[in-house]
Amino acid sequence: MISDITIGQYYKENSLVHRLDARNKIILTVLMIAMIFSCKNFISMGIVALVVFLSVLLSKVPVKMFLKSLKPIIPVILFTAIINMFYVKGGQEWSFWIIKITEKGIYTAVFMAVRIILLIISSSILTYTTVPTMLTDAIERLLSPLKIFKISVHSWAMMMTLALRFIPTLIEEIERITNAQKARGADFENGNLIDRIKSLVPVLVPLFVSSFKRAYDLAFAMSCRCYTGGEGRTRMKQMKFTLKDVISLLFFSASFAVIILINKQFGALI
Amino acid sequence: MSVTVLETENLSHVYSKGTTSQVHAIRDISLKIEKGELVGIIGHTGSGKSTLIQHFNGLLKGSSGTVLLDGKDIWSDKKNIRNVRFRVGICFQYPEYQLFEETVYKDIAYGPKNMKLSDEETDKRVRQVLSFVGLDESYLEKSPFDLSGGEKRRVAIAGVMAMEPEVLILDEPCAGLDPKGRETVLSLITSYREKTGSTVLVVSHSMEDISKIASKVLVMNNSQLAYYDTVDGVFTHSSELYDMGLNVPQLTRLFLKLREKGYDVPTDVYTLEKAGSELLRLLGKGDIR
Repeated sequence: MISDITIGQYYKENSLVHRLDARNKIILTVLMIAMIFSCKNFISMGIVALVVFLSVLLSKVPVKMFLKSLKPIIPVILFTAIINMFYVKGGQEWSFWIIKITEKGIYTAVFMAVRIILLIISSSILTYTTVPTMLTDAIERLLSPLKIFKISVHSWAMMMTLALRFIPTLIEEIERITNAQKARGADFENGNLIDRIKSLVPVLVPLFVSSFKRAYDLAFAMSCRCYTGGEGRTRMKQMKFTLKDVISLLFFSASFAVIILINKQFGALI
Repeated sequence: MSVTVLETENLSHVYSKGTTSQVHAIRDISLKIEKGELVGIIGHTGSGKSTLIQHFNGLLKGSSGTVLLDGKDIWSDKKNIRNVRFRVGICFQYPEYQLFEETVYKDIAYGPKNMKLSDEETDKRVRQVLSFVGLDESYLEKSPFDLSGGEKRRVAIAGVMAMEPEVLILDEPCAGLDPKGRETVLSLITSYREKTGSTVLVVSHSMEDISKIASKVLVMNNSQLAYYDTVDGVFTHSSELYDMGLNVPQLTRLFLKLREKGYDVPTDVYTLEKAGSELLRLLGKGDIR
């Protein structure tokens, strides 16, 4: 069923990582991604992997969950690795038939694969440990300086929150309409591309109609509760930057410094 | 002689099997539905009613057990499952959300078109079902989105009826309608059955509605089949029905209360006539007539 897909994929747990300030977690994730991209050799990559692994452990989210988030990316990883393996030249060479593989090619392939895996895991930590509404709240706060350019950060964040909130509802709705049209003999599985696209019309039209209705209802309900936008709005859940946020930020900055040093010391692999 | 049209044998369905959120939606259901019967399916929210009916036309496939249509397993030929859906028509809850065409005519014709019927046959059926649901031909060229709630509902029901299914299943056809709308929908269901002689299944959680129209009642409780009997038969269990959280008619509730107070009255009362005569008997004044 479509409803089996997890979106927003929050994993409920009460760990140190869960309790970190959402704003801080976004900053840490950006730092982590920057670290992963600045790695130039296996030693620095190893250190980043250690930091990622430590974060996974501290988040108390089962490793199984991370494997699940990696699963859809496997083809991308394989594709990148294979392309790199064949196109990077240098070092010792092996050749069978028309295929030529180089030592450097293999290293690069492994390096790229590890890089993608670490990227996915580090961004998964953020989404597994942070409720979507907290996430959008944090994005709003972090982007609030954009206000000086007359960008209404609050409205954008509110739109994002609402969009996330309605994804499960829409999935349910699609399932319901699809079933109703199937019961009237709709055929979504057979026929050529054009037939299949046409067969979506009976699902999309009712979906749009009800989405618009929902949007009007929601807008009405929001104005009934005196929503007038971000101006002067206070929050029930205040975000607090605590000691553990400072420590984690310092730790990440230190790791970043170490990586830059190692890159300098041991040179670049690629 | 009654002929069985729809039959299930030990039908069970488990949602999200093998995960922590595994749910037994229906459990070991065996039943036979006879041709021409109007069966009311009742049960509290989450009792498995909706899951059960989705097995009848192959929208869901049971985790175990079989569904037989005219004695033939509906899953014996997977490619033929669309055909089963034309023979067992389901009209879901709030069917007005399935309307999508520009005109009422086109929307009702969607099912027959999918059956690859000729234009003349489709036209004949569209006009016929429109009269079944009590709308006149001026509606045909209107947009379904311009109709009132009750009219939309009737057009959507007509869309399923137009396939002329041997078994018509309606899931909560009266949900969200005002009393007049409920009355209209219930009466169009009975008149449809009288005119076409087809088998009709109506899902509801209102005993009151079901007792008015059904010839037999199927009661679902906690994903299992609790009772399957005539309306009278099921009402002999009225206090159990009440305990299952079902909305038994007010009259029945009155008699249950009387019984509780120690009066010698039957509890399978759901019509005014019977209630009247029972009360008069209790008061010692003889029969109502």
